[in-house]
Amino acid sequence: MKAVIKVDHLRKSYKDIKAVSDISFRVYEGEIFGMLGPNGAGKTTTMEIVEGIRKSDSGRVTVLGIDVKKDPRKVKTNIGVQLQTTSLYPRLSVREVMALFASFYPKAASVDKLIKLVDLEDSKKKRCKNLSGGQQQRLSVALALVNNPKVLFLDEPTSGLDPQSRHNIWKLIEYVRSKGKSVFITTHYMEEAQRLCDRVAIIDYGKIIATDKPDKLISQHFQEEAIEFELSQKLVNDVLSAVAGVTNVLQEDGKVIVYSSAVPVTVSALLDLAKQRGFELTNLYVRRATLEDVFLKLTGRRIRE
Amino acid sequence: MKTFNMLLMANAKQFVREKAALFWTFLFPIFFILIFGAVFSGGDKISFNVGLVMEDDSAIAQNMSAALGQVSAFKLTSGQRVDEMKALQDGDRRAVLIIESGFGEKIAKGETANISVYYDPTQTSSVQILLPIIQKVVDGFDRAMVGVAPLIQVNEQTLQSHKLRAIDYLVPGILAMSLMQLGLFGVAQIVVDRENKVLKRLGATPLKRSTMIISTVVFNLIVAMMQAALIIIIARLVFHVPILGNWFYLIGFIILGTLTFLSMGYMLSAFAKNQQTLMPLIMAVQFPMMFLSGIFFPLEMMPGFMRPIMDAMPLTYLADSLRQIMVESSAMHSHIINLAVLGGWFVVCLILAVRFFKWE
Repeated sequence: MKAVIKVDHLRKSYKDIKAVSDISFRVYEGEIFGMLGPNGAGKTTTMEIVEGIRKSDSGRVTVLGIDVKKDPRKVKTNIGVQLQTTSLYPRLSVREVMALFASFYPKAASVDKLIKLVDLEDSKKKRCKNLSGGQQQRLSVALALVNNPKVLFLDEPTSGLDPQSRHNIWKLIEYVRSKGKSVFITTHYMEEAQRLCDRVAIIDYGKIIATDKPDKLISQHFQEEAIEFELSQKLVNDVLSAVAGVTNVLQEDGKVIVYSSAVPVTVSALLDLAKQRGFELTNLYVRRATLEDVFLKLTGRRIRE
Repeated sequence: MKTFNMLLMANAKQFVREKAALFWTFLFPIFFILIFGAVFSGGDKISFNVGLVMEDDSAIAQNMSAALGQVSAFKLTSGQRVDEMKALQDGDRRAVLIIESGFGEKIAKGETANISVYYDPTQTSSVQILLPIIQKVVDGFDRAMVGVAPLIQVNEQTLQSHKLRAIDYLVPGILAMSLMQLGLFGVAQIVVDRENKVLKRLGATPLKRSTMIISTVVFNLIVAMMQAALIIIIARLVFHVPILGNWFYLIGFIILGTLTFLSMGYMLSAFAKNQQTLMPLIMAVQFPMMFLSGIFFPLEMMPGFMRPIMDAMPLTYLADSLRQIMVESSAMHSHIINLAVLGGWFVVCLILAVRFFKWE
């Protein structure tokens, strides 16, 4: 497989804060590569360095074989970028902004086809300030596609969107992949990474702590299923670890997650324990392990802020 | 070139579609001219309501009253002391003159006779303008009675070959002020764009920063030309303010002035963290310039200790040159000096802007 993005030993600090410390990864042709991590983990910084709009302290980054440090303009000509931007030109219409951006590139895609693709046909004469959040976001994806790029960068593309709009963006991203383009996306939504990405890099405190296909990441760390519940009184981890079938215990804010390879045995043992010790066990449910659990296991924290 | 044109068009559309920008750029200066024009068009004929109380009916007192009546700056009203004093207190008179009884007798006897003048000292113009006029009338009367002809007479001549009216003085100043405001506010958008990450988004395209800046500057120059044309046309049509000088110089100074204030605008944008800090910064620069650059009144009226400030302000020099070119007012400085000072400000602001502007 051909790598369209190669990042090796990338570092970036702001004063004494290490935003990115020694990150290396590849993004291959035709894949959706996701960077998953909490806010402030270094996702956006990494992405912006690869895009050529931020300078690294050290490390080597090439995009489509072009060294980003040496020729950022050439990189920018060949990639499509979407940032966490609210509005660009509030008083220009959708079509006017598209045409303006198209003029920045030596070769541009058909503006009208793109408008159709992102389903803004009915709003193309609307001023940008009058667009809904979902429409804004689709416009910014369309702007990222205006030069017909081989690699598309999307920074938190569904942040703050309603489920319907989020779904639309996902479909759009999958369509872009079907055209043989690569997509590099950052997100702090587990389900987005799990559902959309071919490969995911989990990032925390400026370091990549795991990279693989979402399913593989999960099966690598969990053969078990997760049992979540709340307790009326606090129990130490050791007590819960001793329960039959439990392989791992995590507690946070009164919420308990135990991972078990034998769910029926564990659940009944937990209920017995509760009766015995006279505490209540509420909101119990059983689910498959997710990327969230992987993150939790690797970092000891939940990803959501 | 296509990119440049598209950016220019985008600027134009953004501008035209914002009503507030249109108002401040085009209507506001026109309002200024119309309002000030209306205020000053009574022109040089200022008149004061003056009350006269005659308590003496001698012939000399009658003559005195007639002499006062001849002063064109006075609108004379005769009445009783009580009524006139009340009118003074109510603000209906600027001064009340009282010729007390026995006025004629005293003069006939060769004694000094008094005319009492009552005025409100808080009305400074009464003190500065009225008293000397009254004094002059009385002196003239005095001399006539003693029979001495004045030895020295002041012969008033204005410097200009044509008469410079207040509105003539004002219009070039308002033009200069409008260019200043356009320049300072015209580039404020860059700070908003930085805050909204528009600059960052544009930075992710191959668009050159220089292309972006130059298109904005060119757009503002076009607006400046339109603004200047509008001001000149309105001033000409409504108040018959002429353009006496060289059109080529006029356009040159309009362009140089706009560029100077645009670079000053960029410099302020470079020092402002965000929109909230930029606006007070622009205000802090524009208000002193508005009032200390001889736009509304000649600099000679300002206290001396402010001269260094006034002499430092670029607007002083732009207004001076525009005034010289448009209405041939007397020069404060030569065009060369004005050109040098404006050019100096332009270069210094530009260097500071380039040095300190942060793109994110």
